[in-house]
Amino acid sequence: MRRVRSVAIVGRDAALWLAAAAIQRALGPTGVRVQAIELTSWLSPVDTYAALPSLGSMHRLLGIDEELVLKAAAGVPMVGQRYSNWAKAAPAFTLAYDDEPPPGGGLPFTHYWVKGHKEGLRIGIEDFSLGCATARLGRVPVRQDDDGTPLAASYGYHLDARHYAELLKQVVLRRGIEAVSAGVHDVAIDGERMMAIELTDGSRVEADLFVDASGAERALIGRMPGAEFESWRDLFPCDRMIAATGPRLKSLPAFSQISAFRGGWIGLYPLQDRTAVTAVYNSRAVSDRDVAEQIGVLARIAVSGDAVVSELKQGVLARPWVGNCVAVGDSAAALEPLDAVPLHIAQGCVSHLMTLFPVTAEEMPEAIAYNRSIAEFVGNVRDFQAAHYKLNLRFDEPMWDRCREMKVPESLRREIDVFAARAGVILNDEGTFFEQNWTLSFLGHGIEPDGYDPRIDLAEDAAHIQLVHQRLRTVAELAKAMPTVDQFLGVDQPVEAASVR
Amino acid sequence: MSKPVEVVILGGGTAGWMAAAGLVSLLPHQRYRITLVESEEIGIVGVGEATLPQMKNFNDLIAIDEAEMMRSAKATFKLGIEFVDWGYKGSSYIHPFGIHGPPASGLPFHHRWLRTITAGRDWDIEDFSFAIAAARANRFDFPVTGGPTINSTYSYAYHFDASLYAAYLRSVAEGRGASRIEGKVADVEQDGASGDIRALLMESGERLEGDFFIDCSGFRSLLLGNRLGVEWEDWSKWLPCDRALAVPTERQDELTPYTQSTAMEAGWRWRIPLQHRTGNGYVFSTGFSDESKAAEALRASLGSPPLAEPRLLKFQAGRRVRNWERNCVALGLSSGFLEPLESTSIYLIQIAIMHLLPLFPTGKVDKRLVGEFNRRMDVEYERIRDFLILHYHLNTRDDAEIWRYCRNMDVPESLKRKIALFRHRGYIEDYRDGLFNPPSWLSVFLGQGLRPEHYHPFADGVAADRLIGELEQLREEIRDRVDEMPRHATFVSRYADAHQTTEAMLHEPEMRL
Repeated sequence: MRRVRSVAIVGRDAALWLAAAAIQRALGPTGVRVQAIELTSWLSPVDTYAALPSLGSMHRLLGIDEELVLKAAAGVPMVGQRYSNWAKAAPAFTLAYDDEPPPGGGLPFTHYWVKGHKEGLRIGIEDFSLGCATARLGRVPVRQDDDGTPLAASYGYHLDARHYAELLKQVVLRRGIEAVSAGVHDVAIDGERMMAIELTDGSRVEADLFVDASGAERALIGRMPGAEFESWRDLFPCDRMIAATGPRLKSLPAFSQISAFRGGWIGLYPLQDRTAVTAVYNSRAVSDRDVAEQIGVLARIAVSGDAVVSELKQGVLARPWVGNCVAVGDSAAALEPLDAVPLHIAQGCVSHLMTLFPVTAEEMPEAIAYNRSIAEFVGNVRDFQAAHYKLNLRFDEPMWDRCREMKVPESLRREIDVFAARAGVILNDEGTFFEQNWTLSFLGHGIEPDGYDPRIDLAEDAAHIQLVHQRLRTVAELAKAMPTVDQFLGVDQPVEAASVR
Repeated sequence: MSKPVEVVILGGGTAGWMAAAGLVSLLPHQRYRITLVESEEIGIVGVGEATLPQMKNFNDLIAIDEAEMMRSAKATFKLGIEFVDWGYKGSSYIHPFGIHGPPASGLPFHHRWLRTITAGRDWDIEDFSFAIAAARANRFDFPVTGGPTINSTYSYAYHFDASLYAAYLRSVAEGRGASRIEGKVADVEQDGASGDIRALLMESGERLEGDFFIDCSGFRSLLLGNRLGVEWEDWSKWLPCDRALAVPTERQDELTPYTQSTAMEAGWRWRIPLQHRTGNGYVFSTGFSDESKAAEALRASLGSPPLAEPRLLKFQAGRRVRNWERNCVALGLSSGFLEPLESTSIYLIQIAIMHLLPLFPTGKVDKRLVGEFNRRMDVEYERIRDFLILHYHLNTRDDAEIWRYCRNMDVPESLKRKIALFRHRGYIEDYRDGLFNPPSWLSVFLGQGLRPEHYHPFADGVAADRLIGELEQLREEIRDRVDEMPRHATFVSRYADAHQTTEAMLHEPEMRL
């Protein structure tokens, strides 16, 4: 048997460098040769990454300093996303992505809230979520040192995409990885085994393992047998994306704003030096030109410079790992940039690859486990995103009407059913989102659970009321004690400023 | 407030009384009325004298005093199961309720252990498990909580007399407001239109109406199987044992804090140490032995005279394809049967109750909740099924037909995949729901003789000498700590002696910090 002695990673932008950083860090000390082949960047100056709290853990694992990231990528902490106009008659809601389950009396707090709500409680669930409360106050839920805190929350980031990718690249290069910039001219494949790749600069790269982080190009995996792409178009009607930019917001919010409109949705992502704007839409409902012209009006922000249009093809590879070629990130599964997931997909794939890093160069049965885990992992993210479309209440608009009628995967149908019946949440082995994330989304979209866990009624009414009020007070007090985004960043008030609404 | 939901439990064995005690303790009394119907004339199977650590969670949840329960059910402690002769003749391994060494740098311990083997050290992974070391030394103490110390790396379960446990739960359930009706069911009344069960018609002529029925009638599955006609799924092609002979012998002098399971020529034999006796039994397949031969083999293996005539149980491995149908849920043997090889019978009752509670009907049955309960139970049953099959399938025994058959049988895809990945690189799937966790899979894979061909490449990141040093230290620490533990028999007699009264216990000197 022969160990894997060399890894070639072909890709671009953050996915490439995240993969390279992780592989180099884990395998460098064991003498494995890691090469990065950088394809032309697809990022433009207007692009942004919204990232879940899990990215912070990845940075810590890779030894990348948070302050450095925030500084280099004009980063702003992000606690959640604010969904507006997904129902014509309902107010906006905040979906926080905290990872800490809120304490209830042994049962999830949601059930106490649902009971209260049925008995006339007029206070929304968001006031009981530390993530939501801090997001709405423009504050960042940093962890207190004295660990007597009864509640905790976590935060992700908004990052300038180009600057973030550049930072990762510099970090990786400083750690001594071999890197070249070139395109893939051809690949030599023998059955399910990739032998070598020929680059556009005429050189030839051989390796035991090939990693494809090239995004939708699928520069390597696309040439492997059996890696067919399965489209999720029937769940995600939006096939286009436009990115643009506007001025920095006066006081920086700790959330992204995700507003639905007739033909799709528009995201507003505050950065330290500007505000990134992204429109994701259905090209049959609205034309590229209309969106490009109206993006500023729809987002209620003055956009400047060029708007960049790209295509969206949501879906997943049937086998993201074939033979000795593994796809990570968008090349394994492409999702739209809702719920701050794009980097998370890359991160999840890389972390599964690390767990299953092949032990021999000759045969890689690890692919079976990887493909199974990735299918479940991205399927769960897909369900979370598709729920926004399925549960929309924008009546009398053809695209949105169709979404409400669409058939969703069995896994999502079950999730909605159990929540609608009992406020219950089903968690998966490879789940990204936590119980409270699903709860905030479902309640925000207007599901009113028919019931709650009957064990809740064991508590006396007075005890129940006290628990609910105690929780409300604790959340309010903790949220107020957190630093504002500006305080957290230590930045001065900007000269040029605009307002989000 | 609307009138309470009438819950009728049919059958008063372990399942019935666990359900009654669980529901009456955890559901609000103003909304639910719990009635259990049983007949003293019908014996109970009293499955599973050995349990899993989850049992303690259940008891804690319904606020049962551990020492009192142990005295009542003549219980002892359990740190794992010893498997003798399973993978091959002469082998012995323990499936512990604990880990084999701590993970480091994101790698499970066994990769580091495999690395030291490759580097030339020949040591057993069991030396690095605190639970195993304590079990083999016949010692017991409670795990330390809230620290990274080596004696916090395990949990424990009980061996007990299941009939006594059921009787104990009966006193708890009745004390908390559950009603009991003595009598036999003559017929079942169903709603003509919906097919829902409306009432149990008793031999006494009484008509017992209910909104929701819990079938704990044992193998007969009177409601779910017989009445509602939910089909049986047969798993005997993978788990061929279909009989058990059970017989008690005298109590062992030295109480082992583990169950023993010894592979035989047509199945396997259990030995469960209780305070007042030792439970023994032979689970076998009539496809590979007849009953008299099996009885002879059991008698020959006992070592001490039997205290009663062997009792014969007949069964088939498998399950009802839906455990909840209309307004009826089956718990325990009426829902399915998996042999007690991994002490899962009582766990299956317990987990069904725990899955049922959050979904429990508040009025009319909601199909969405029925579907969810059944999905959760599918997961539970299939996980255990695969784990049990593994014990039979992974063997190199050539001395009896059953072992050859099991080695060559076609196992479920889910299990093939797990075996292939462990064989290749020691990879173990980790899942959220259902039994068992990776340390359990590890102990059985290795114990049955499957040594991975490779370990995780990251394990090469540390120098072999340093690793060996770390492991030596760990082994020593375990030995030292185990030496300080009390003997299991001593611990049991101090903590939960069945002959001791509660009052006497109060005057016992403090035995723990």
